[in-house]
Amino acid sequence: MLEIENARRVFFQGTPDEKVALNDLGLSLDKGDFTIVIGSNGAGKSTLLNAISGALRLDAGRIVINGDDVTATPVHRRARHVARVFQDPMKGTAAAMTIAENMLLAELRQNPARLRLGLTRARRNAYREQLSFLGLGLEDRLDTPVSLLSGGQRQSLSLVMAVSGSPDLLLLDEHTAALDPRTADLVLQTTLRAVNALGLTTLMVTHNMQHAVEFGNRIVMLDAGKVILNVTGAEKEKATVPSLIEKFSAKTDRMLLAG
Amino acid sequence: MQLIEAYIAIIPVTLSQSLLLSFLALAIMIPFRVLNFPDMSAEGAYPLGGCVCAVALVAGFSPLVALALAAMAGFLAGAATAFIHLRFRIHTLLAGILVTTMIYSLDLRILGKANQPLFNESKIFDHFAGLGLQPTPTKIVAAGLMVLVTYLVLQIWFQTERGIAMRAVGANSDMSEAQGINVWRVTLGSIGLAGAFAAFGGGLMVQSQGFADVNMGLGVLINALAALKIGEAIVGTRRMWQQLLAPFAGAIIYYQLISICLVAGLAPGDLKIATGVFVLLMLAGPELRRRKAPRAKARGNG
Repeated sequence: MLEIENARRVFFQGTPDEKVALNDLGLSLDKGDFTIVIGSNGAGKSTLLNAISGALRLDAGRIVINGDDVTATPVHRRARHVARVFQDPMKGTAAAMTIAENMLLAELRQNPARLRLGLTRARRNAYREQLSFLGLGLEDRLDTPVSLLSGGQRQSLSLVMAVSGSPDLLLLDEHTAALDPRTADLVLQTTLRAVNALGLTTLMVTHNMQHAVEFGNRIVMLDAGKVILNVTGAEKEKATVPSLIEKFSAKTDRMLLAG
Repeated sequence: MQLIEAYIAIIPVTLSQSLLLSFLALAIMIPFRVLNFPDMSAEGAYPLGGCVCAVALVAGFSPLVALALAAMAGFLAGAATAFIHLRFRIHTLLAGILVTTMIYSLDLRILGKANQPLFNESKIFDHFAGLGLQPTPTKIVAAGLMVLVTYLVLQIWFQTERGIAMRAVGANSDMSEAQGINVWRVTLGSIGLAGAFAAFGGGLMVQSQGFADVNMGLGVLINALAALKIGEAIVGTRRMWQQLLAPFAGAIIYYQLISICLVAGLAPGDLKIATGVFVLLMLAGPELRRRKAPRAKARGNG
């Protein structure tokens, strides 16, 4: 479903601040894979997601989503394949617009806007049903501006918007990190339900090792812009937090010694 | 008593003026409020529309075609501002000022002189002569009809998928791009549309006053902004239909206020101060109303 080959991106090239954010990174995901991406700060997790969504162009390498080479495709055209939920609840929704209007915008990812009525009765009913899945009562507030929602409600809405239309690839960028523990858990549970129900190919970035062990069927560990660990299958089933940390330290120590 | 009579006597004239200039207020509202793209190129698009319209009329085009040409020229002016901002990342206001400055020279080239009177050329208002009304009421009917049609068309537009997508670009540009909206195309089209409305207003004004002048755009922007602010204060901005009504309602009320100032004895030269004070009051209003709240809180919200 997702093929990344030799992805390379260097920031501030040729200056003392030069940073290789993606260092010939390679990654391949199968359809339905729920992959957890972990790694320390500056490992390249966000850069990787930005490169996949198109917000950031690669210096070299190739990205193929669902058989479609999107390496040079602008963000708005990749939207057909990719949906994303950001860490910041403000980023994923249009605050000044209503819940229903935001839901409509999500629909435009796969069906570009045309000159026809936007919020039809049929659509409003469909949105009501999709939102009721959250159990937050948003289905009764279709005409409420999103700016009046709490952070958790906004993030839940972002999530429903992202999974609507079953995107080829769902990117979750530490999407529960800015929420209080209870809300974070609620959003996470909703995420798991949606991903499982729709069988979405998902990349979830997190700093929470416990989540990495508990959820998903793959773990990818990044360091210095490279995939240093790829845990799948039975190995993933057996993985524990200490075993991951041990592997992480071993890998990075070896790299330090080699470098 | 005499003052009130004098004021009432000029209501028809000020009303027709305000209807024509409401297109300019609309041309300010779209970039500022819908696109979140503070833009001043309306100040250039307005006289550009006037000059193009005048030249087209002199060349023998029909009044309607002349207006269409004016609107097209305005579209290009607005799109130029949007392009400068998008491509070179120049601040929207500066991009608009650049375009407006260059348009002044362009106006002189188009007109070939500083002023073009239009005596015998037919005007759009001639089409309404069949009503058998005096010139001023004819203008009111004609302009009122155009305002009504524009309002209704835009009201429908903003309920379509494309209209909602256009608002999304202003509400959250990055997010709208991630939802598959081509931000470049929408911005170019929308700021272009605003320019087209400003130029259309310029063309109408030229046909109404019977001449075009390269300096006709001087300071119109602040009038339009004042009209918009007043309209928003009165009809509100919560729903899209209110936001869309604000420039039209505001233009009408603003020109009545100006007319009261004139009747009350204010010298025409002092009008700019009056306009400035209006705008200032409208902008300062929310802050003044909040005075009762603790100072620190007011700062935080500002």
